[in-house]
Amino acid sequence: MEEQVGEIWHKWITRRASNNYPQAGVTLASVHKRLMILFRALGGDLGLPLEAASITSYESRRSWLQRLAGSGLSASLAWKDERGIRLPPQIDVFPERQFNEDLYTWLTLMLLGDRQHQEPWLQSNQRLTQAILQQFPNLRSLYQGLVTAHLKQRYAPHSLPAAEREQELVIRQALLHPGSQTRLPQAEFLPQAVLLWLHPFPPVSQQESRLQDAKAEPGGQQQNVETERRAAERVENPESKDRGLLTIRMENIFSWGAFSNLDRSTDEDDDLKGAEDTIQDLDKLSISQGGKQAAGRLKFDLDLPAASEDDVRLHEGILLPEWDFKKQQLLPDVCRVIPMLSADAEPMSLPAELRTSAKRIRDLFQQIAPQRYWHRHQPDGCELDVDACVRYASDKRAGLSPAADGLYRDLRIGQRDLACLLLADLSLSTDTWVNNQARVIDVIKDSLFLFAETLHATGDRFAMYGFSSRRRDPIRCHQLKRFEDNYNDRVRGYINAIKPGYYTRMGAAIRYGTKLLSKQANNHKLLLIISDGKPNDLDQYEGRFGIEDTRMAIREARQAGLHPFCVTIDRKGNDYLPYLFGSNGYLVIHQPTELPKKLPLLYAQLTQN
Amino acid sequence: MTSETMFYQPQGNEISLFEHAYNNQLPMMIKGPTGCGKTRFINYMAQRLQRPVYTVSCHDDLTAADLVGRHLIGADGTYWSDGPLTRAVREGAICYLDEVVEARKDTTVVLHPLTDDRRILPLERTNELLQAPAEFMLVVSYNPGYQNLLKGMKPSTRQRFVGVSFDFPAPEVEVQIVMGETGIDEAMAKRLVNLAQALRSLKDHDLEEAASTRLLIYAARLLLSGFQANAAIRAAVIEPLSDDDETIAALMDVVNVTFA
Repeated sequence: MEEQVGEIWHKWITRRASNNYPQAGVTLASVHKRLMILFRALGGDLGLPLEAASITSYESRRSWLQRLAGSGLSASLAWKDERGIRLPPQIDVFPERQFNEDLYTWLTLMLLGDRQHQEPWLQSNQRLTQAILQQFPNLRSLYQGLVTAHLKQRYAPHSLPAAEREQELVIRQALLHPGSQTRLPQAEFLPQAVLLWLHPFPPVSQQESRLQDAKAEPGGQQQNVETERRAAERVENPESKDRGLLTIRMENIFSWGAFSNLDRSTDEDDDLKGAEDTIQDLDKLSISQGGKQAAGRLKFDLDLPAASEDDVRLHEGILLPEWDFKKQQLLPDVCRVIPMLSADAEPMSLPAELRTSAKRIRDLFQQIAPQRYWHRHQPDGCELDVDACVRYASDKRAGLSPAADGLYRDLRIGQRDLACLLLADLSLSTDTWVNNQARVIDVIKDSLFLFAETLHATGDRFAMYGFSSRRRDPIRCHQLKRFEDNYNDRVRGYINAIKPGYYTRMGAAIRYGTKLLSKQANNHKLLLIISDGKPNDLDQYEGRFGIEDTRMAIREARQAGLHPFCVTIDRKGNDYLPYLFGSNGYLVIHQPTELPKKLPLLYAQLTQN
Repeated sequence: MTSETMFYQPQGNEISLFEHAYNNQLPMMIKGPTGCGKTRFINYMAQRLQRPVYTVSCHDDLTAADLVGRHLIGADGTYWSDGPLTRAVREGAICYLDEVVEARKDTTVVLHPLTDDRRILPLERTNELLQAPAEFMLVVSYNPGYQNLLKGMKPSTRQRFVGVSFDFPAPEVEVQIVMGETGIDEAMAKRLVNLAQALRSLKDHDLEEAASTRLLIYAARLLLSGFQANAAIRAAVIEPLSDDDETIAALMDVVNVTFA
């Protein structure tokens, strides 16, 4: 009973305290595509995805109702960082739907610009606003409408204590006359959230903002431990390659003097005393800036199987480069791709449940198989169709008036000079279930079977590989069928033996495929990639790095004269694949179980004459 | 063709390149996206050089006979009819094969003896061997952005041509083109070109094709004849770019921000 009453009270008071209008609300999902196109059309970075911003804590003055309801402690604002642009998941602050939509448009435009290094919040927002209004004069009325509506919602200056009143007046002036204000007076609370402006302290690059805070406000909580000078060195954060189980030999750590890779940048501990004590105990201070993004921290590592349990390594592997978008350069020989053969593959015939589909597809493809023959009775062609001409002439002699069409014959050539290499993503995520019967890996397996049947029927040359990675070394590339292999029970055995592996270092796999496919003498070379998600790996490959590296690998493949094409069952594929493969270079299959049947059809479509 | 001089705004050195190629009897290949002025350029050059043009729009059913000629049956028996290529060779004209990659590859092989130093066109059917006169010129064009695995020019064919790439003109030049072509005022031409610039950055990501100069000219014509501005842009520029309702709505947002 108590609980129920409490719940009802909470709902009621929260609703009373909130200034939102859910009935006029606009969700990000409903305008996502429009905003993305707008952002890109007006010069936004093509590689940045648009994502919903998380709600961040934002403590400004609250009304007594809000305090009573315990709400108003957070705000949903927009910002941009290295990994994407963020907009509130929903905007319902204005009673009119149009204003809420306009606010989305406005914030998208604000995100086009960049906040300059150490530029204060007040100045940067005024500068961005001015820039937009100057570049797109049509937006003046939209802006003015938003400002008027927003000012109505802000606290009236006279209701605030002196310091905050001054702050509020400055913000109001800055909104009405962007560029007019230069200094934001200090006050006890943060100013009430300014909906038209970007987030004053975006939560993402916490490390960076902490560093900046520390620089901006000397004193504060920083304790002065540097009374004595210490031997200090700046070290590159060593890539802890062997952080797995028991790979650090503990007996090697004799004292505090050894470098221990300790991440303090996100330490929540307010009490710096402990850290100070530690520093006092150290002879030498090693400091480095952690390069890891917050998202990388929750990952756990996967152990590789013992060598005896693992599949057969065909050779020690080849080294391939990787594109580092931050340095804008190709790091040579950093990835090792190791070709492997499944150890426990037994030769087998095509699984019984696939035989009917396989036969249907084979029949279909044999019709379009390359052949060269005379088409007779053509309205047009390179030779006269003598039979038809004789008939025509004799009919004419006989006093009839026959139609003079279909008097030619034509030699149609259907020769396809084509080689296709298929790369299947065998990362751990393929272990997920798509329905009660099948996992992603099973769907991929069936797809590979039917695809192989198809290409076998057309007579096109093809090869198949599966890949998964664990950082840069090794990138495991399972060889299912080489170009020179015949498609037989042995190959089917290898297909049947595929299993989920580790991660998806797509760039390296594509480069390996490019290498193999470029060696083929055919005129047309198709590099087909089947994937179930974004490129990712344990290290920095997650996110933008992986996307940019994959994009570069695809560009290299194009330069080598190949046609890369991606088929994905990742529903979010539309967000990042256009950037990688171009709008014509990929296909998203929404229902994973359709993949086996759609793949051969797609192949037909891609290669039709 | 009218007697008055055709409007053509050069993008670079293409006019002088064309003239040099013509004077040295070199065949020419022009690459560029849809609607960037390839066909206009050929017609302009033909007028400048005072040669007739035979234009063939290539398609995948185009046979060698369509280019060279064939025997037809008339009332008095069969007779030979020259194709556009043969006619151009006989008359010393410019033969222009538009979108040459659309033609099947075995078709374009008939061009080979014409595109090396022999410059001959053998006609098997009539047992003739035509020597091309100095005035004859072969020009082909295609759109390299067009992605189909099996379509694309054979490298052996491609290597027989002098090549030039067209792209959409620089904004200042494009403003001149839109003005010159339609007579619209400069301010409006600038707004159209700015819009096109914004839309072009969406190519490959959200749109298959970039908004062409031709579409801008259509829009300018609609505007000049008094059609309401936003509706004209929608009809002439946005609708031809996409079939997807949501994309069209988004593109109209771009129009509203940059144009209206």
